[in-house]
Amino acid sequence: MDQTKFGKLKWIFLIVFLLCPISSHALEQVKLHLFYSKSCPHCASEKEMLKDLEKKYSNLSIEMYEVTQNPEYSELMDRVKKTLGTENSYVPYTVIGETGLTGYNDNIARQIEHFVERYSKEKSVDLVEKVKKEGYIPDYKKEDQNSNGKDTEESSITVPVFGDINAKTVSLPLLATVMGAIDGFNPCAMWVLLFLISMLIGMKDRKKMWILGVTFLCTSALIYLLFMVSWLKIAVSITSITWVQRGIAFVALVAGLWNLYSFYKSKDAGCMVVGEEKRKKTLSKIRKITSEKKFILAILGVMALAISVNIVELACSAGLPLVFTQVLALNDLSTFQYALYILIYIFFFLIDDLIVFIVAMITMKVSGISNKYAAYSHLIGGIIMVLIGILLFVKPEWLMFQFS
Amino acid sequence: MKIIQISAIWCSSCLVMQKIWNHVKDAFPEIEWCKMDLDFDSEEVSKYQVGDKIPVLIFEKNGEECSRLIGEKKEEEVMLWIKQNLEN
Repeated sequence: MDQTKFGKLKWIFLIVFLLCPISSHALEQVKLHLFYSKSCPHCASEKEMLKDLEKKYSNLSIEMYEVTQNPEYSELMDRVKKTLGTENSYVPYTVIGETGLTGYNDNIARQIEHFVERYSKEKSVDLVEKVKKEGYIPDYKKEDQNSNGKDTEESSITVPVFGDINAKTVSLPLLATVMGAIDGFNPCAMWVLLFLISMLIGMKDRKKMWILGVTFLCTSALIYLLFMVSWLKIAVSITSITWVQRGIAFVALVAGLWNLYSFYKSKDAGCMVVGEEKRKKTLSKIRKITSEKKFILAILGVMALAISVNIVELACSAGLPLVFTQVLALNDLSTFQYALYILIYIFFFLIDDLIVFIVAMITMKVSGISNKYAAYSHLIGGIIMVLIGILLFVKPEWLMFQFS
Repeated sequence: MKIIQISAIWCSSCLVMQKIWNHVKDAFPEIEWCKMDLDFDSEEVSKYQVGDKIPVLIFEKNGEECSRLIGEKKEEEVMLWIKQNLEN
């Protein structure tokens, strides 16, 4: 080959190389790990989508792990989630590179494809393989799962005066407020508080009255807090088991329908008369408290009264705190946020009791809140519970207000 | 003519209605008003077979029960109920 021919060929090669940067630049291999449950309908939808994605991207390989029947996969998922700082064990759970995505909906499908494309162009660490070898990695740098930012933009709404409000961050506190207040207006335990206040007013010692009343209310709050935190702990760890979620959905539906029936029945507002025996027992307990010479025994008596009343109240609330906690468990929140929403719920649950107590302490007269509000609380509570029940059955992802 | 009011200290509807009952009492001074507490006057109350909802107002004429008004009511409703009982 003479010098000019070689020179021409050199130029042709150079031009072809420059014009075809893609063919000369091989795609990175992308590995996607899917943790799923056999019985979860959203997992099935994601698997269908992944089949198509695998056809579309030849450099994509998918590994699947069934977590309900294989404890070793469930443990692996827990370790990966822990490494990425995710506290729930909800499935489907997709991991691409260092990114974990919990749940499945159209938005998550878009995010999965976005990350497949991204990691096709840049090298990534296969976190699941790393965890398989090394186990849980503490203080691991967490990948920003909202890196495309679309989600936050889509859920923002502009409200006059308040400006831009993110619907996702507003939904849970709003739900906590509404459900807590509805639970509070359920008049199951109000009669005990009114009984207690009437007797306290007879004591004519304002300091003792305040202490005993506040103890009653704080103990009530504590019982609710303990119940909700305990259920949250259970719910967060078992959300992947479909039958538990279905069970809660069923409770929500039954409780919702019961609330609607109570609204229908309560055309004439009034106070339901509890059994005479129960009233007599409560009355004698309260009399004992107010006539107790040792104040510490009176405080203990009030605490015991609040505990027994609120255990009944929890059953009477017809699943409202249970369902609210279940909704919280579906959301990807920090411990602080979980605590905050539970406290908001409890505050609004106690707000009617607080109003009645404070007014009574200031005026030294017992005032009641009309039971007509209780009827409306049955109506609103019933509608909310039925809606949540249906969503837990068919579209649990719609209850994931705060999710990556 | 007599109205028997059966209420309880723990019943918020009774507390809400206390104001209304005071107005009604003033409007019909000719009617004797007899107040009973479900817990503290349980013996007398047991004669009237109160159901599962209070407050209850019982209108009596010549010692005989004419009608009952059960639950939380507006002032106009209580007034109308009394007027109807007086006319009958």
